[in-house]
Amino acid sequence: MSRIRLLGAVSLLVSIGFPTALAAQEMISDTTARKQPLTTWGVQLEEFEYRYSDDDEELGVWDADSFYGTDELKLRWISKGEYSLEERAYESLENQLVGQVPISKFFDAKAGVRFDTPEGPDRTYAVLGVVGLAPQWFEIDANLYMSDEGDTSADLDAEYEWLLTNYWILYATLDATVAFSEDREIGVGKGLVSTETGLRLSYDLIDRTFSPYVGVVHERKYGDTADFAKAGGGGTEDWFAVIGARLAF
Amino acid sequence: MSASKFLVAAAAISMSATAFAAGAHGEGHGSGRSGHGGGHGAATGEPGKASEASRTITVEMHDNYYEPDSIEVKPGETVRFVVQNKGNLVHEFNIGTPAMHEAHQKEMMMMVEHGIIQGGTLNRDMMEMDMGNGKAMKHNDPNSVLLEPGQSREVVWKFSDKGDIEFACNVPGHYQAGMYGEVDFD
Amino acid sequence: MNTTLLAGIAALLLPVIGLAGEYSLTVDRVKIDTGDFVKTGIGYNGKSPGPVLRFREGEEVSINVTNNLDEMTSIHWHGLILPFDQDGVPGISFPGIRPGETFTYRFPIQQAGTYWFHSHSGFQEPDGAYGAIVIEPEGREPFRYDREYVVQLTDKHPHSGDRIMRNLKMIPDYYNRQQQTVGEFFSDVSENGLMNTVRDRIAWGDMRMMKADVEDLQGFTGLINGKGPEQNWTGLFEPGERIRLRFINSSAMTYFDIRIPGLDMTVVQADGNNVQPVNVDEFRIGVAETYDVIVRPRQARAYTIFAESMGRSGYARATLAPEEGLEADVPQLREPARLTMADMGGMPGMDHGSMAGMDHGSMDMSGTDGMSGMGDPSMKGMDHSGMAGMDHSNMQEMDHSGMAGMDHDSMEMPKGGASDPFYAKGSGLVPVAANGGKFLSYADLKAQNPLYEDREPTREIELRLTGNMERYIWSINGVKYEDADPIRLQYGERVRFKFVNETMMTHPMHLHGMWSILEVGAGQWNPIKHTVSVQPGTTVYMETEVDEPGQWAFHCHLSYHAAAGMFRKVIVEGGPESAQAKAKAGATTEEGGDA
Repeated sequence: MSRIRLLGAVSLLVSIGFPTALAAQEMISDTTARKQPLTTWGVQLEEFEYRYSDDDEELGVWDADSFYGTDELKLRWISKGEYSLEERAYESLENQLVGQVPISKFFDAKAGVRFDTPEGPDRTYAVLGVVGLAPQWFEIDANLYMSDEGDTSADLDAEYEWLLTNYWILYATLDATVAFSEDREIGVGKGLVSTETGLRLSYDLIDRTFSPYVGVVHERKYGDTADFAKAGGGGTEDWFAVIGARLAF
Repeated sequence: MSASKFLVAAAAISMSATAFAAGAHGEGHGSGRSGHGGGHGAATGEPGKASEASRTITVEMHDNYYEPDSIEVKPGETVRFVVQNKGNLVHEFNIGTPAMHEAHQKEMMMMVEHGIIQGGTLNRDMMEMDMGNGKAMKHNDPNSVLLEPGQSREVVWKFSDKGDIEFACNVPGHYQAGMYGEVDFD
Repeated sequence: MNTTLLAGIAALLLPVIGLAGEYSLTVDRVKIDTGDFVKTGIGYNGKSPGPVLRFREGEEVSINVTNNLDEMTSIHWHGLILPFDQDGVPGISFPGIRPGETFTYRFPIQQAGTYWFHSHSGFQEPDGAYGAIVIEPEGREPFRYDREYVVQLTDKHPHSGDRIMRNLKMIPDYYNRQQQTVGEFFSDVSENGLMNTVRDRIAWGDMRMMKADVEDLQGFTGLINGKGPEQNWTGLFEPGERIRLRFINSSAMTYFDIRIPGLDMTVVQADGNNVQPVNVDEFRIGVAETYDVIVRPRQARAYTIFAESMGRSGYARATLAPEEGLEADVPQLREPARLTMADMGGMPGMDHGSMAGMDHGSMDMSGTDGMSGMGDPSMKGMDHSGMAGMDHSNMQEMDHSGMAGMDHDSMEMPKGGASDPFYAKGSGLVPVAANGGKFLSYADLKAQNPLYEDREPTREIELRLTGNMERYIWSINGVKYEDADPIRLQYGERVRFKFVNETMMTHPMHLHGMWSILEVGAGQWNPIKHTVSVQPGTTVYMETEVDEPGQWAFHCHLSYHAAAGMFRKVIVEGGPESAQAKAKAGATTEEGGDA
């Protein structure tokens, strides 16, 4: 109880002793960074690898994702490419610039543009997509595209992780592309275009910053797309052995 | 649910009487004194007669310490203690050896767990209650008093010739926090 | 550093109190060596942790803080009761201390006990900007000890605070290395059967929550007084001495379970306030909490102070020894903690049907005087006849630890399962003492000497602790600080705060400037604290006598939760005349500034 009296004495002291010292200092409003939306950024390369196919084809491949922004709005740059080491040419090269906003507890919507500038004809697309974590821990990234030629297509990327240990992680990935119209010039037929499935065993060597892996990737083209490929003298199915690293900064 | 609590209390009494005797055995005196609090023998002394007291020492209980926290006695001296609880919590004044205190602390723990001692109040009715085995948590031994805030009581004690003796409060935690005093023999 | 001036300048400023102390602190970039790694960080007077500031109750202190950094800084005096503009929170108490500037804090010391200080700017505190405060009481301590040591814990991480925040935002499980593996799946199958295990994984996968989400930040080295486990901070003693250990958890994120194998500990103080002594074998110290314990090593040997993190991902270690260089066994870390569905109990919209044994009613101590209920007079009329013939022999093995508080139901728990009324029933986080003995519960904390008269609160404010682990968003009532209006309190009222933890993490909630009277069911003996841990799936009440005007911070003390939005400003309106004028001015500014 003694502190009650003391508190009384102190408030008396405050009111008598410090009026001049304190009156000058009014209650401020919080304009510090704490009161601002937290802005953050990150760069992740889920794939950064060398691929060697069953036809002795050699590719350098990356799948990079960088973001900058807040919980409410992020700017995202997604870059994917396949570089043929023999032909010294990009088999595919894709850059997306999207804005991303949350739409549910686990999912974001994104919208933006995609530029494809591989060897051969270029394309520009409008992108609309969702990305997030589905039940049972499937990471999902699904997009709709409309090209400057008026063709529409969609893709779905899914990833699942098995923790063999907390450092040895097995990643399963599935990417599937469908086209709603044919774009002959870039070899895309209507219907299911292609799938890429991968299984990679990685080890977190430095935090989650550098995780080397080895794996296998299977690529397959379907339907008209496969026919176009065959007509062009290419294959419709490839098996790759891959070695690379997941990177995060 | 409450019934089980009483059963535990009863068990506690029978258990701790054993523990207490064992503690006293450690001092070489496990005499057949019956009931709660028995077992203090020549190691500490015995209840004294007020008429034989050579002097009176007032011991104040505070939360959680005594004033004074050490006294000097002559071997065999009979002292009349006036014990006053000036704190806000229940406290004990108990003359014994450290081993006796340690054993007694287990009993006091039970008294707290069964609501007999609650912060500043002592449930005397419960202390009187028959625990089902002919024993009660009376805490009525001549070497100790248990006081609520504001209460005062006398203890007359004839000390033995020597020994490792302390007066202590065995309410859980109090002894460990430092509520004990040394008895130094001249 | 500690110059005590009598009279002089102090007498001019303070006609009432004649005692004044002047202290100086510099805020510096320092090197921190944990034994596991070396990094640069921030410290005081050239070191991290900074010095132990020793004050005396009743003294008027002035503390000169010189900022030698190239960024803004601040010092918050954690747990001290002082005028709000001395509280050291940039944007709330004052603008902050600019690089090169010396700011002088002046305030009266109105309390005694163990506290600490730390920067409230950015992530300077996790980066090392913290130190201890020890305040001697005016009168004598209500306990005895022959020597004392500050035992200040932290979770020093090789990454800087900014980087940790960024990593958590990018990959929320970045630092979690205790996740369930394929191996754990199979060991669970052999223990619980295939279907149960699959069902369990599906239930958690459906929520997209991790059982292993106990500690956001792993990979730290636990430090005690700046020393890592290998560097082994050692406190000396003479056998038989009573030692007061002032435990302070200055971690950014980590709760520690503390024990000293071979020694009983008597808890005598919590958050700087004396409590009725409790003998324990082990206790859990939340982030920002302090506990003072008394130990009495009788043998001339070393004793290990072992502080294991709540999630068992790391530990701090120190030694009490009769001479330097001695050490005792260092225990192994126990199995990592796993959350249970009970810990998810607070989540809205969940199917509670499968969660047997969950009973939030037991947490609700409102109005019921649980403690005194134990000695309820109605017991006198009890029928004892049923007692006869019962086998008393097993009773000695009964765990009474759960009884001290109010949760009598715990006595009916099967298989002697650990329980603590401050954890959800069946929670995976309920602490158990390593030696099977007594583990401190909040329910054991009773004020030694109540600071305030017990009275009915004037109103209740519900604060739901909310968040989204996958986005690493933390909030109160679903609103982050950046979007939140201040909480307005009236000077002179007694507010009851109801914390409802709807997340799966433990949140140490810290109200600045005024005491938090924690509802443990002990009525007027409810302990007063400055930091109140709210476990997942539980509801905890605290009351506050609104007796300090001004504006104050109120937040989760986990550094990255506070920064992610679990933070509020509290404005106390009204009060002593001079403060009232300021409050009005501030309130006007506030509407403009924060709207």
